[in-house]
Amino acid sequence: MNATGYAMRTDQLTVRYGSFTALSEVSVGLRAGAITGLIGPNGAGKTTLLNALSGFTDVHSGVVYLEEKDVTTLAAHRRARAGVIRGFQTVRLLERESVLDNVLLGAERLHQPSDCSQILGLPAHWKWRTVARSKAADVLELLGLSSDSHRSVDSLPFASRRLVEVARVLISAPPVVLLDEPAAGLDQRGRIELAGALVRVHEQTGLTMAVVEHDIDFVTRLCGSVIAMDSGSHVMTGTPQEVFSDARVQIAYFGRAANAHA
Amino acid sequence: MKSTNRKERWITVESSNPFGQLILGGLTSGLLYALLLLGFMVVFQVSKTVNFAFGQVGMVAAFSAWFFWSSLGLPLPVAIGIGAILAVVVNSAIGIIVITKIPAGRPGLDLVVTLGIFLFLTAVMQLLIDANAHAFPSLGGDKRTVLGGVVVNANDVAIMVLGVFVIGGVYVLFSRTTLGMELRASAENADIAASAGVNVRLLRLGTWTFAGLLAALVAVLVASRLSVDAFYMTPVLIKAFVAGMIGGMDRFFAPLVIAIGIGVYEALAIFIWGSSAGTPAVFLLIIIALAVMPKRFTAARHEVRA
Amino acid sequence: MTTQIRQLPATPSMMSPPPARWPHLSTVVIVGLIAAVPLVFFGDYWMFVAAKILAFGIAAMGLQILYGRAGLMSLAQGAFMGVGAYAGYLVAQSGLGPGIQLLAVIGAASLVALIVGLPTLRLSPLRLAIVTLAFGELFNWLLINSTEWTGGSQGAPVEPLIIFGFDTSYPLDAYLVALAFAVPLTLFALNLGQTHLGRRMMAIRDSEMAAVSVGVFIPKTKIIAFVLSAVFGGIGGWLYSATTGFIAPPDFDLFASVFLLAAVVIGGSRSVAGAWMGTAFIVLLPEGFNLIGQPNLYALAGGLLLATTALLLPDGFSGVFAHIKSLITRMRAQEDRA
Ligand SMILES: Nc1ncnc2c1ncn2[C@@H]1O[C@H](COP(=O)(O)OP(=O)(O)OP(=O)(O)O)[C@@H](O)[C@H]1O
Ligand SMILES: [Mg+2]
Repeated sequence: MNATGYAMRTDQLTVRYGSFTALSEVSVGLRAGAITGLIGPNGAGKTTLLNALSGFTDVHSGVVYLEEKDVTTLAAHRRARAGVIRGFQTVRLLERESVLDNVLLGAERLHQPSDCSQILGLPAHWKWRTVARSKAADVLELLGLSSDSHRSVDSLPFASRRLVEVARVLISAPPVVLLDEPAAGLDQRGRIELAGALVRVHEQTGLTMAVVEHDIDFVTRLCGSVIAMDSGSHVMTGTPQEVFSDARVQIAYFGRAANAHA
Repeated sequence: MKSTNRKERWITVESSNPFGQLILGGLTSGLLYALLLLGFMVVFQVSKTVNFAFGQVGMVAAFSAWFFWSSLGLPLPVAIGIGAILAVVVNSAIGIIVITKIPAGRPGLDLVVTLGIFLFLTAVMQLLIDANAHAFPSLGGDKRTVLGGVVVNANDVAIMVLGVFVIGGVYVLFSRTTLGMELRASAENADIAASAGVNVRLLRLGTWTFAGLLAALVAVLVASRLSVDAFYMTPVLIKAFVAGMIGGMDRFFAPLVIAIGIGVYEALAIFIWGSSAGTPAVFLLIIIALAVMPKRFTAARHEVRA
Repeated sequence: MTTQIRQLPATPSMMSPPPARWPHLSTVVIVGLIAAVPLVFFGDYWMFVAAKILAFGIAAMGLQILYGRAGLMSLAQGAFMGVGAYAGYLVAQSGLGPGIQLLAVIGAASLVALIVGLPTLRLSPLRLAIVTLAFGELFNWLLINSTEWTGGSQGAPVEPLIIFGFDTSYPLDAYLVALAFAVPLTLFALNLGQTHLGRRMMAIRDSEMAAVSVGVFIPKTKIIAFVLSAVFGGIGGWLYSATTGFIAPPDFDLFASVFLLAAVVIGGSRSVAGAWMGTAFIVLLPEGFNLIGQPNLYALAGGLLLATTALLLPDGFSGVFAHIKSLITRMRAQEDRA
């Protein structure tokens, strides 16, 4: 924990694609050890913000801080190793591989035996494998995927595929987790279960989390504070109640939120 | 491969402007690469398939034309005509029987399947005719004039005229006409195009026919400058293929210009370092160019953004 | 979206068995079958053929790592066989024994892979394939044009390897020597499937973004795949030259590379066993036509057979096994329910 209380924050962050400004001077923060919601209508720049936080897009100006260290130019894989792990809005999995393998991919961040001892199959590798597998079993259990662990992900229903990605993010117990609409495509019961699982992980590990989500109920259930965005700008930050009742947010957002329920 | 070290005839022609001569030679062979690549690209457009056997389709045309002409004594235009028809038939057969059956999502499968066809066509022609190299009629190579110290023959002129017209014609067809739009639509998504009333099958047949004709044309012209056997098209195909991959098969002018550039550069390299230097100079340049080229010029269509 | 019914916690007996063991079994069976070929036919010629399968199979396993696992197509695996073969040849010329030769083979293959791979691995897979093609053509040209060293286009005779009294100029010994390399290398290749490194490679094949998002440094993993594949290729080429007793540039040209790729694809690019089955198919196909007394037919039917097999089995031979396996699993599951 640092003086500002933010695990990650941005300062005057601007992201441009050609002449189009996707984020304009956004200064927001993810409170350490809290779950922060990220809301806004389609095209508001939520995914772009996650991309900037995780190093997946070039930043035009402004700064991204991780634990008050400037990581603006740190490459994406280095940021991941530093503990910022993200999920994607469109799930990205190892197609035709098992759920277990997909989740184990996320174990990259766990300290690994050298590539050489992996290639040669030395004991260090087998020990590591046992540890990683038990972590995978835990996270699969948490998300209710245990019975599918040997199924190939391409045979899973869409909602479970999302959960596989969430499991891949969570397996290494990263200090900062960024999820992009993890509940999209889940039914009501699935959403409640997912929110419950995320809350449990959060209680166990005290990680910092940002969750992009359209569903008010889900956000309220999960998040201590909410950042609202519109057209690439930061609108406001507050508790879910404050944000959802704010007139600016309602104008920008609620017209679409009704659709997002469907 | 048998034909990599063959000396090309036009290099040895006497002229008072050797540099101009070499540029002309490089330009014409580059245009031949570009024309073959054009056929390759057209097939790729409608099928998203890399057809490794495409050069052999042309070989079938030229080799059988040579056979009809030299062994059966048919007049040359008739022999070439029959060869071209054979190429169209073979190419359409490959397209309909083979290429449309290659399932999507298996990268590399197209290469293996068309490798099989490559071997088959080669074996058939070796069996039907023979495995030797034969001189092909020079097709205007002996009708020459001198322009600015450069010996220009009718063959060169024909290649340049054909190159400009065919490439320009295909460009106009693809970008300016409704037929081109229908072609692009059916390449993107055949089902949607069909439901919009486009006769996808006819269009495809037209594409195979056109590509077959192009392969025959290029193969006959290459044969008239070198000689003909069952393998001689492979180096031409490899260079066309390389140009297509570097320039990007989903673009139009970039790969064709690269193909022409490879021809010119190859001629230059042979001029400077001698006739055995053509192959290494070309492939070394390809590696170096790809290694130093900035990413935005080399990146193919990337994964969809996050 | 339909409501998803969460299954009750499975009792141990209901849980599907870890499938990771199965590929092992089929690979062991395949390797066993190949190993048994000489015992069945017990003639020098067939032992020679079997040794060739082992040598090519090692190279194909390397390509399977690079292409099947990491998704990077290479049109230079034949050339890497050549790197190994000629490195071994040159070292043997100066009178050094098999141990040093092996080190030279591994060193040369790794070095060349680094030189070709380091500057170009950022390219898209198709363009990388072109770089490998260009490298293969250059390498072949080099072999042909440095006659004093390599024997040029005429090729050169290779001294047999003599390891622990086994002399590769005898087919049985060549076979056993090749087997002594093929077995551990197969185990390494299989083990890769159990490692995180192997998973990282699959991530590069399927989604570079997913790989980066968990912290994979892609160039390093690509280089490892490239070097591993080159080393397998080099060792395969070295054993091939020891088996045939002769090397010449056409053994390592573009067609050699394309045939290795064909072996991997026909066998099923996603499994080590596939690389072996594909290699056996490609090598045995002409032998089969010899056996029925129609060697000339191979030229004609070989290509067609290759194309048809690839079309009929788009996931390769190992895809068929995987399919049968999943059928059995499904039938078992139905029985359990009944
Ligand atoms: N790589 C890119 N190139 C060009 N434009 C982009 C790129 N990424 C995002 N944009 C644009 O930036 C804007 C914000 O996109 P972003 O994906 O961040 O929105 P979002 O808030 O996540 O919306 P949604 O709810 O639809 O996911 C959009 O107009 C989008 O078209
Ligand atoms: Mg988004």
